[in-house]
Amino acid sequence: MEAHKKQTKVITGNGAAAYAAMLCRPDVVSLYPITPQSEVIEQLENFHANGVLDAEMVTVEGENSAQNVVCGASMAGGRAFTATSSYGLVFMYDAMFQTAGYRAPVVMVNVNREPPGIHAVCSGQQDMISVRDTGWIQVIAENCQEILDLVVMAFRLAEDHDIQLPVIVNYDGYYLSFLAEKVEIPGIDEVDKYLAVLKSQPERMKLTPGKSLGCGSHGLGMGFVELRHKHMAALERAKTKWDEIDAEFGQAFGRSYGGQIEEYRNDDADIVLFTSGSAVGTARAVVDAKRKEGIKVGLVKLRMFRPFPVERLVKALRGKKAIGVLDRSLGFGWGCGPLFMETKALAAEIGIVPMLNFIDGLANMDITIPHIERMIDDIHHASLGHPYKEVAWVTMGE
Amino acid sequence: MSTAKKKLPKVCEYYQNEDQFSGGVAWCSGCALELNARFISRVLGKDAMFVGTPSCSAPVLNAANTGAWHKHSHYACTMTGVASSATGLTRFYQKSGQDATVVCFTGDGCAMDVGFQPLSGAAERNEKMIYICYDNEGYMNTGVQRSSGTPLGAATSTTQIGPQSKGKSTGSKNMPMVMAMHDVPYVATATLSHLEDFAKKLMKAKEMSKEGFAYIHVFCPCNVGWKMSTDSSIEVCRTAVRTNYFPLWEAEHGVFRLTNKVNQQKPVGELTKMLGKFKHLDQGQLASLQQQVDKRYSIVTALCGMP
Amino acid sequence: MEVKTDKGTCIFETESAWSDATKHMLCLDSGSWRTERPVVRKEKCTRCGLCYIYCPPQCMVDKDDHFEPNLAYCKGCGICARECPTKAITMVSEGEISDGSSQKAD
Repeated sequence: MEAHKKQTKVITGNGAAAYAAMLCRPDVVSLYPITPQSEVIEQLENFHANGVLDAEMVTVEGENSAQNVVCGASMAGGRAFTATSSYGLVFMYDAMFQTAGYRAPVVMVNVNREPPGIHAVCSGQQDMISVRDTGWIQVIAENCQEILDLVVMAFRLAEDHDIQLPVIVNYDGYYLSFLAEKVEIPGIDEVDKYLAVLKSQPERMKLTPGKSLGCGSHGLGMGFVELRHKHMAALERAKTKWDEIDAEFGQAFGRSYGGQIEEYRNDDADIVLFTSGSAVGTARAVVDAKRKEGIKVGLVKLRMFRPFPVERLVKALRGKKAIGVLDRSLGFGWGCGPLFMETKALAAEIGIVPMLNFIDGLANMDITIPHIERMIDDIHHASLGHPYKEVAWVTMGE
Repeated sequence: MSTAKKKLPKVCEYYQNEDQFSGGVAWCSGCALELNARFISRVLGKDAMFVGTPSCSAPVLNAANTGAWHKHSHYACTMTGVASSATGLTRFYQKSGQDATVVCFTGDGCAMDVGFQPLSGAAERNEKMIYICYDNEGYMNTGVQRSSGTPLGAATSTTQIGPQSKGKSTGSKNMPMVMAMHDVPYVATATLSHLEDFAKKLMKAKEMSKEGFAYIHVFCPCNVGWKMSTDSSIEVCRTAVRTNYFPLWEAEHGVFRLTNKVNQQKPVGELTKMLGKFKHLDQGQLASLQQQVDKRYSIVTALCGMP
Repeated sequence: MEVKTDKGTCIFETESAWSDATKHMLCLDSGSWRTERPVVRKEKCTRCGLCYIYCPPQCMVDKDDHFEPNLAYCKGCGICARECPTKAITMVSEGEISDGSSQKAD
């Protein structure tokens, strides 16, 4: 079979994820279907069946096994990939602590979908929020091209000797999973070249038969604490490393996204809207329109959710007169969205200004242009000193 | 006086190497699991890689910080993840051309309850590995709670004896048969009283695991949980075999064979009277248990094509 | 066991939890748990090896004409005595042993 050559195609977000995974030459892939992710694994199996992808394909009997398979393969020294969504992600929950705790550099795609209810086959970021504290790195894509690019960059980050942590690449179900867009697919030689730097780094530990090695000996007191400390330190390092990797990617492929966050018309902005995922595309258009109306609004897009880009965000949000945060999930018991909660935690560094939270886009409810216009108007209004509602559920008419 | 050195029991010919375990390990006095682990290690050889989970085996099988209790490479994982983690390992070893014998080593709680789904999945995919279940008929490590391996009538901390309860009200899952019905290359039962039989089965499983899935179900008494004396572990195993409570058989590519035919089957009461967990059994319960033993044995003999 | 690294004293040299039995084997003083010890009467031992194969901690040591327990690890379960076909092994209470015999490993 001929090696994959650079080409431009119209493909779905799921297709982009599958292409990217194939281009990174994983050794082991675990496959289990779930809407709206299934297309990723189907496409990967198609690559495999046609000889384009030379990997061990493990068609497991559930997501929990999907996660354990990739963790095991990774600890044995292999490159491993899997994909899931929603309930599938939370069914992996116990194993995810292990993958991160063992420092297995697995890459996993999570197609964001609401978890509760069997008919909740709809977009929402609650799934990724639910696994926030498992110790994984989490990044979020805005469009199909970025999905492809993020998966490649995710392997580069996960396997970096200074990091050695698993990475979830998130993208909105439906809005991106089934959206067909023009995507530039790099040649496999280009991806090989981009990832080649990993081979020049010191080899990580791997579980080998007959070597008297034990993997997963977390245990007694200080040893456990020490490993947690190292894990946290690696997550901290991942922030700037991600910025570097993004810049290197730009040099190699001509596309760069700003690393941990991307700022859009934010330099001279008085007020700012902060959000993530596919809603950013709509928000860009509204920001442009509002600028024409004379409202100096900027946009900040979250690309890396864990570790949280504290330093970059403080820089981007400091000095603004009002900040709006659009959440596509809930921080149950906090009365607001999780992104808002975490942004508010930066208030001491940012400065005390009106902060508004918009809950929108749950359960496939479209985040429309009028919705974002209204959000920007509210932020603007608050910045002028008018009273404002801190948390507004947009589709509930609040 | 010089006499010719008498030969050791035949089973010793199967030992590949010296004991790979540390002398002093955290298993109870008289623990059948301890012998089980050391024996399997010696027969499969030091290159065998163990995959284990929270369990009675965990304090020894899994390392603590940088130190280990044995010289096998091993992988510790969650109870739900044994067969699937082993899949990840063995698949990568195949992909990268490394020779490996990956051995899942878990109790009945993992194999029959919480880790059953991945085990069934790995068997159905015919993954190249050995899965050994040491069945001590309950959650011994967490304080003797019932599992789906706990037999009818047995007292455990979650099936207690009192005016409202007479021990476990249902029988155990017929696990070796469940695994045999997965149509994998090799399934066998084994126990410590019949070590040569056990060794042969381990060697066969090792060979078979090069082509697919091999499962060995080991009857493994627990003197703490079963309320029996520390010196009786082997005798209990022997009695389980002689009562046909635990018949020894194997199924090689679906061909069933009794590997130890019991000539004069003893009543199951011979076994239950050795075990405190059955102390309270009334005649009705004992009869039900006997009925179940006979029924299960008849399934085995039928599959073996015996009259 | 601790290791010195450029970041000070650590338990692990690695980022994650790895043990290495070639460098660090653990061992408990399990012989001290024992309340009874097996005493072998050499003259009755036929060296059939049943005690050797059935001993859970595998601590029966082959002395060519008979077996002796390694008392450093023998937990005193009594399986050897029960399985011995010639009754060459007797379990004796540790309280009755007054020879001050060592519990240390061979």
